Amino acid sequence: MSFEWPWQYNFPPFFTLQPNADTRQKQLAAWCSLALSYCRHHKLYTLDVMEAQESPMFNNKKIERKLSIEAIQIVFEELRKKGNLEWLDKNKSRCLVMWRRPEEWGKLIYQWVSKNGMLNSVFTLYELSNGDDTQDEEFHGLEEWMLLRSLQALQTDGRAEIITMDDGKGVKFF
Amino acid sequence: MRRGVGAGAIAKKKLAEAKYKERGTVLAEDQIVQMSKQLETFKSNLEEFASKHKQEIRKNSQFRVQFQEMCATIGVDPLASGKGFWSEMLGVGDFYYELGVQIIEVCLALKHRNGGLITLDELHQRVLKGRGKYAQDVSQDDLIRAIKKLKVMGSGFGMIPVGGSYLVQSVPAELNMDHTVVLQQAEKKGYVTVSEIKDVLKWEKERACHVLDHLLKEGLAWLDSQAAGEPQYWLPALFSELSSRDVTPEEVNQMTP
Repeated sequence: MSFEWPWQYNFPPFFTLQPNADTRQKQLAAWCSLALSYCRHHKLYTLDVMEAQESPMFNNKKIERKLSIEAIQIVFEELRKKGNLEWLDKNKSRCLVMWRRPEEWGKLIYQWVSKNGMLNSVFTLYELSNGDDTQDEEFHGLEEWMLLRSLQALQTDGRAEIITMDDGKGVKFF
Repeated sequence: MRRGVGAGAIAKKKLAEAKYKERGTVLAEDQIVQMSKQLETFKSNLEEFASKHKQEIRKNSQFRVQFQEMCATIGVDPLASGKGFWSEMLGVGDFYYELGVQIIEVCLALKHRNGGLITLDELHQRVLKGRGKYAQDVSQDDLIRAIKKLKVMGSGFGMIPVGGSYLVQSVPAELNMDHTVVLQQAEKKGYVTVSEIKDVLKWEKERACHVLDHLLKEGLAWLDSQAAGEPQYWLPALFSELSSRDVTPEEVNQMTP
């Protein structure tokens, strides 16, 4: 299924940081939404700011408009404030994008485990994110850092325990 | 003694007058009863509208705020019981009343996108869509009449003639002749530039900038500074791609009160 762009994407001024405060607020909200949807659609978990500027997400070649680096930084800051983004470096050149928060992932994973009657079994992280059994699940392909955070969220809830094994980490669900 | 032709005639006349007066009073009473019935209908229609949307009004606080703001703009307190603000208004036929309510609904739903300005075409399209296949058909003329009635009820609604049709204004943004004329100029391409205004309208740069700044401030226009040559001022209301797009759930969440 191809990505559905919001109407703003083909509206040239959308790529200019608006001078009017109220309009800018709407604009940023729309950009945040677009960025998260785009990342979700393409299962992107990390972004590099430079690359992002050239990606279709922030660059609409058809209308010859793109967001400036400065504007992208502002959008990312908004996402960070909302808890959907984390910087990986001090220079703010790379970031983690959480279009779904760890708690939400944790819930999905737990649901799958319990639905398949596998509570109290131990899984390796690899099995969960890349196993054949999870092929059809949304969390298939989840990057390890995100998977860990999701399991940590479940652990805090008392619904899982992360175990360190010889060759890596595993998890047991209760 | 000679009785004046007058005396009896006058008495008779007085009696006749008295009878006419009484009749007149009776007629007025009739009218009042009629009007009361009409007002009851208006009131119940409004209550029905409010109850139909009670879910959204209750569920979504942003919708609630905007709904009430919009009604306040036209002098309506839809959620108050009993006391009829509508009793002040007369002569609004059921059809136009209902249509007016529909128009408000559409304008409210799209205000966050277009700042409260919408083309009559788009409004028409959406009203028809909202009415469904089996509803009575609605012409643009009907819309115009309904909007005129809405206008009468208070500030907020206005119609600006552009390019052979109208832009319908649903928020009380202060738009004077200068603004209107620039909107008309923008209607051609969906955007306008300072140069165009200077060339076509023969204005000074300051005057053009002043108007464009106002449109930005009112949320009716957005700035595009990546256009070749000079900045362009675009109006979402005139952005044709927008008119076919429904309001998405994301947009609903983005609506600022």
